[in-house]
Amino acid sequence: MNITLKVWRQKNAAAPGALVEYTVSGVVPEMSFLEMLDTLNEQLIAKGEDPLAFDSDCREGICGMCNLMIDGQAHGPDKEATTCQLHMRRYKDGDVVTVEPFRAKGFPLVKDLVVDRSAFDRIQAAGGFVSTHTGGAGEANAILIPHDMAEKAMDAASCIGCGACVAACPNASAMLFVAAKVSQYALLPQGQPEREKRVLAMREAMDKEGFGHCTNEYECEAACPKGIKLSNIARLNREFLRATLLTE
Amino acid sequence: MEANCASKRSCRIFEFLESSIGKKIMVAAAGILLCGFLVTHLAGNLLMFVGGPAFDHYAEALVHNPLLPVAELGLLALFLLHIVLSIRATLANRAARPEGYQVYKGKGARTPGSRTMAVTGLLILAFIIVHVATFKYDVGGLKGQVAGQEESLFAHVLGWFANPWYALFYVLAVGGVGFHLSHGVQSALQTFGVNHPRYTPALKRLGLAFAVLIFVGFASLPVYFGFFHKADLACCAPVEGGSK
Ligand code: HEM
Ligand code: SF4
Ligand code: FES
Repeated sequence: MNITLKVWRQKNAAAPGALVEYTVSGVVPEMSFLEMLDTLNEQLIAKGEDPLAFDSDCREGICGMCNLMIDGQAHGPDKEATTCQLHMRRYKDGDVVTVEPFRAKGFPLVKDLVVDRSAFDRIQAAGGFVSTHTGGAGEANAILIPHDMAEKAMDAASCIGCGACVAACPNASAMLFVAAKVSQYALLPQGQPEREKRVLAMREAMDKEGFGHCTNEYECEAACPKGIKLSNIARLNREFLRATLLTE
Repeated sequence: MEANCASKRSCRIFEFLESSIGKKIMVAAAGILLCGFLVTHLAGNLLMFVGGPAFDHYAEALVHNPLLPVAELGLLALFLLHIVLSIRATLANRAARPEGYQVYKGKGARTPGSRTMAVTGLLILAFIIVHVATFKYDVGGLKGQVAGQEESLFAHVLGWFANPWYALFYVLAVGGVGFHLSHGVQSALQTFGVNHPRYTPALKRLGLAFAVLIFVGFASLPVYFGFFHKADLACCAPVEGGSK
């Protein structure tokens, strides 16, 4: 089938950008969305044109690199799926698809569809860790953790840092990401010693990067490929309030 | 930031108020307290259905309560806090996405109320200015224009409601309040960190029901007295029991 793409092309952060229209031929339903873009690039290179820049790595939904805004939806139309897990069987011959980069002040554009998400790394580095010498693997049952706590922490920890929550949020807020990272430690015994310090530092780092304020629009939850729940943001709010009150 | 605060604790409070989450918590707290004010205000207003004397008596008692100026100052402070912080947050949110999307569809999580918070907020603000100017400070000078009702607030209010444009603006504005609260109440709870798999769906419905009740309650007065039971300006007494 043929797919008409309107993709954002921009040489670099300083240059002006615009949507450019291309028709990709030879697309088959089994292709992933990224393979369709690879096909476009083969056709562009054959014509001697500059190929389209876009990010990807694992192509199996675990690394969080493939970040595209597809027809106004972060990671495209599927529920709980990354762009690399979106397949062309979702589309039919002649469809017109608009592809844009994730947009936020905290995610500066590098080229075409590639944005710089190192803001997330800086937020994580501000407090998203536990400072203990773990030594060798301990006895698994030495620290008892209730099953439901382990499940909730694991759900929060499944965030892959893709940034779809920021891209989908009308306020470009990074609260769902930060909430997931704070929650995964706040729920476990190992996270307790640095519980207050962590949330205060990560909140500060988040605001410093220029992300917006959460107004509880729920679009982040709807866009998240890992199904991170908004209840994590409520926990982040509680943790922040608690840390503000308890810290000396 | 460390440099200009007296102690670590005052620093922490300052940081809280300047933080994205702290600002939101303050906006939500002021918003919920304003909801409490709306309930008491509505209860007073509904006395209009009981009759002119009952309403006027209530208004008299309120005006002569020595604590009223304190309450008014508190209310003003709540409004200012809510408005200043929410406008600052809204502007910061605009700045957080300098270049917008050509196509921005989302996944259907937003509600009509959540999309229009800033617009309904500004509508409420405009309404409050008109409302206080006309009802409290008698701008437009309607007081005493309903024949023989010099001192009656009831007659004064009826006089304004008799103007269909005023009544319509009133209904529109309290509709704005309803929309604002349809998102606002559940959003404020979430901002306080209240989110529970079992109770949150019920709390959301309660928030929506509260918004509808506030709208219906406030809108009932201009609708009834503005379109069904109209006062006749400078001509004759409005409704039975309308005089003192
Ligand atoms: C009767 C008066 C009012 C009540 C009861 C009220 C109530 C609320 C509540 C409960 C919230 C939710 C807070 C949250 O999301 O955590 C809210 C948000 C908001 N209010 Fe009001 N409000 C009132 C008047 C105003 C006025 C006069 C303005 C502005 C000029 C305003 C602007 C906003 C804005 C922009 C938000 C959105 C912030 C957000 O979504 O996070 N409000 N309001
Ligand atoms: S919370 Fe979800 S959408 Fe946000 S970065 Fe993590 S995985 Fe991506
Ligand atoms: S490329 Fe790794 S998640 Fe899509």
